[in-house]
Amino acid sequence: MSSPLILLPGDEIPSEYLPSSSSAPLRLGPGLRLLSQPPSSKPTSSTPSHVLTATQAGIFTTDAKKNAVSILSSPNRRYIPVVNDLVIAQVHHSSPDYFHCMVTPQAPHVVLGQLAFEGATKKTRPMLKQGDLVYARVLSVGLGAGAEVELTCVNPATGKAEPGGLGHLTGGMVFDISNGMAVRLMRASSASGQQQQEDGVAGLVVLDELGKKLEKVGGFEIAVGRNGKVWVDCSNGGDVAVKATVAIGRCLTTIDQHDLVPADQKKLVSRILREMKIEV
Amino acid sequence: MNKEAPLSISERDFILNALREDVRLDGRAADQLRPLNVTFGEEYGHVKVQLGRTSLIVRISAEVTKPHDDRPFDGLFTIAMELTAMGSPAWDNGRQGDLETYVTNVLDRVVRHSNALDTESLCIVKGVSCWSIRADVHITDYDGNLIDAACIGIMAGLQHFRRQDAVVKDGQVIVYGLDERVPVALNITHKPLSITFHTFDEGKKVILDATRKEEQASEADVVIGLNNAGDVCFMSKFSGSGVDAMVFVDKTSVALEKVKEINAIIDKALQADLSKRAKTGMLEESRAENDRQPELEV
Repeated sequence: MSSPLILLPGDEIPSEYLPSSSSAPLRLGPGLRLLSQPPSSKPTSSTPSHVLTATQAGIFTTDAKKNAVSILSSPNRRYIPVVNDLVIAQVHHSSPDYFHCMVTPQAPHVVLGQLAFEGATKKTRPMLKQGDLVYARVLSVGLGAGAEVELTCVNPATGKAEPGGLGHLTGGMVFDISNGMAVRLMRASSASGQQQQEDGVAGLVVLDELGKKLEKVGGFEIAVGRNGKVWVDCSNGGDVAVKATVAIGRCLTTIDQHDLVPADQKKLVSRILREMKIEV
Repeated sequence: MNKEAPLSISERDFILNALREDVRLDGRAADQLRPLNVTFGEEYGHVKVQLGRTSLIVRISAEVTKPHDDRPFDGLFTIAMELTAMGSPAWDNGRQGDLETYVTNVLDRVVRHSNALDTESLCIVKGVSCWSIRADVHITDYDGNLIDAACIGIMAGLQHFRRQDAVVKDGQVIVYGLDERVPVALNITHKPLSITFHTFDEGKKVILDATRKEEQASEADVVIGLNNAGDVCFMSKFSGSGVDAMVFVDKTSVALEKVKEINAIIDKALQADLSKRAKTGMLEESRAENDRQPELEV
């Protein structure tokens, strides 16, 4: 892929941009939709029977390993649940079968089954209170207006919390970021360690940089929700736990707001750690 | 669904624990304002205030009306503020929430009841006509501390605004257009501003200019309104838990410092805008065509 492909809602994706090598089915990420082509009068073998169109404006990205395509959306703040997204939800109230949670503050509540946790049975299910945070996966979004969105903290096939870390988030702090930033963070954190690139994955080096610098104070845990929330916890940090958490939050929100390039991100991390008086 | 989303337990606990260590989420000190930016639009009395991520637009306008019967010498001054869905998804259009009532009330007290704008100077003909000054506040983004931001906007707007000149001739009121006569500045008696504090941890921690999350986690708020001379014109603690009396005494001096700081920022912005206007205005007037125009008509 030579130059980034910028798409507007309704744009068709040219077939030369799609990964062609793999035999596995193509996976569609958020912001893309499969439309069936109206049967043309002269069906030829060269034109595919379906077209992919964008439903959001953004940059088209491909992931050759997973054979997936998605749209890196602009930093908007409105989140629309898409199946398989990881989100940070806040429990609003519970009913006998479900926890009713908030994913987007002013949108209808989503439901999370009382037993949709790793190893949960009727007797051992987690007792979540109002205001507790849960890291969960979107299981289904339903069809049409008013459909209920369902979350889960467990893979129904294996009974395990997959990927790891799903479930109740205790302690820590949540910072608000834009949806676009959340996507970039997820790509950056899932790819870190596997391939070291000079300017990081998705133009983000902040997590690697913070990880290196905060290693001495005990490292940190991070959970990124597609709904524009990042949960950060440095409970191993001892005396500087609070300061380190605030520093991470400030780094992430500043980079999001000012759209910093990798070199500036490194400078920002050093500057904020110095300002917060964290020894590294 | 017109409700501010409540904070999660983690966020509430963390904000409190951090404040116990004197750390705020954006790295500010307890008595530090967020970056404040005041800019003026093309027309007189059009102000944009940006306080951190809270931003609003204030528009001052004037029209000639009849004064109230019981106060024939006074002009009118109203502050109109509506929290619309433009500012935050938590607000509904046309439905008044608690926050709106509260903020409107405080603004009324700080700016209007302290006589910041001399309403007697707005009188044109006793009991017949006077100027009615209206300040419209539009919130464009909300991240806490609406009161102070709105107060800054209104005061900057009043100082920036120029009303049309009006003259009484043979019992007739003649209002000259902005291009016919030099417009008149409003008569500002003093420049009061409000400073809002929020208390945490049973009143032991007091912070200034809270963000939305900090506001939600706080126990109570204290609003102090005062001017550059240190005259306190408003003080309130409407709801929430109790606050020690010494907080009021201590924080009034902090507030005075901040009022001076903010007024200096407003003054600087006003000066910059004035000099910009003087430059462009002179160019427009001193054009050669302007001199020749009357001769053409003869």
